[in-house]
Amino acid sequence: MMGPATLEVVITELPEGGECSRREEACLDAAETLDRFLACVERRAFRIAQMALRDRDDALDVVQDAMLHLARSYGARPSGEWRPLFYRILYNGIRDRQRRRSVRSRLFGFLPGSRADEDGPREDPLERIADGAPGPDRQLMADEAMQRLETAIAALPVRQREAFALRCLEGLDVAETAIAMGCSEGSVKTHYFRALQSLRAALGEVF
Amino acid sequence: MSEHDVERRDEALERRAREVFEASVEQLDVGTRARLRAARQAATAEIESRQRPAWQGWLPVAVAASAALVAVLLWRAPAESPVPVASSGATVAIDALEIVAAGDDLDLVAEDLEFYVWLEQAGLDGPDAHDGGQG
Repeated sequence: MMGPATLEVVITELPEGGECSRREEACLDAAETLDRFLACVERRAFRIAQMALRDRDDALDVVQDAMLHLARSYGARPSGEWRPLFYRILYNGIRDRQRRRSVRSRLFGFLPGSRADEDGPREDPLERIADGAPGPDRQLMADEAMQRLETAIAALPVRQREAFALRCLEGLDVAETAIAMGCSEGSVKTHYFRALQSLRAALGEVF
Repeated sequence: MSEHDVERRDEALERRAREVFEASVEQLDVGTRARLRAARQAATAEIESRQRPAWQGWLPVAVAASAALVAVLLWRAPAESPVPVASSGATVAIDALEIVAAGDDLDLVAEDLEFYVWLEQAGLDGPDAHDGGQG
C-alpha cells in the first residue's frame, strides 16, 4: 500500500490524460471541468460500485461520497490526475462499506430479517424505467450476459476484481490502475492476468 | 492451445465484457441518473465555494459597516458648526452671518461695513458690554 507521499510522486509522473485538451481546460474554470469529468465517469462508476456492493442505494452513496471527496481534496489538482484518484477514493469507499456490512452481519446475523440485503436490492419498480431502451429480446440478452458477467466477476478475489473492473471496464491504463488500487504496476498486471484466466474459465466460449 | 489463440480469446473476452458493461450503463434508470446528477452538482458546488476568494466572504460585513459609518456621520453632522470661516486673525461674528442669512440688501451691508465692525467691537469689547449699557 502506498502512503500519501508516495502517491504524490507517482501522480506527478503521470502523463496528462482525459478528454479535454490543455487549451480547452485553460478556457474552462475548475468547476466546469470537474462537472464534465464527473459526467463522463459517474454512470460507469455507479455500475462498478453496484457490481461490488450489489445494492443500488449503497452504490449511489459511495459514488456521491467519492465525488465530494474528489472535489474537496483534489479539486485544485490538474484534471488529468482526477480519474485514478477518483477510482481510488471510490474503491476505498466500497471496501469500507463491505467491511462495515461484514461486521454488521457478524454481529446481528442471527436476528430474523437482518439478511434482507442478500435477498436483492430494495428498489422502486417505477425507477427501473430506462431511457432509450432497445427491444425486449435484445434487452433480455444483454441483461442475461451482464448477469453472467457480474456473477463471474463477483466470484473473483477482491484485487483481481478491482484490476479487471478498472483495466477492462473503465479503461484505465496500467499506471492509472496502479494508483487507483494503491499497488505497483507489476501487481496490476498479475492481478489482471489472473482475472482474465478465471473469467475465461468461468464464462467460456458462450459468453 | 497456442499463445496466440489465448491472446485472441482474451481480447474477445475483454471486448465482449466491455460491450455488455456499456450496455448496462446505458440502461440505467431515470431515478439513478437523476441522483447521480444531483451528486455531481453537489460536488461542483463544493469546488465553486472553495474557489471563491476569502475577501468575498467579508464583503457583506464590510458593506454593512460602511453603511453604518455613513449613517452616523450624517446624523452627527448638523450638531457641529458648518461655519469654518475666519478673517484677518479674528473670528467673524455669527451676527454678521445672520444679517446675510436674513436676506438684507448686501450692498447696504457693504456700505455700512465699518459701522458693523465698530458695532461688533463696541458690543464685545466695550466696558458696557457686560452690564447691558447701563452706567
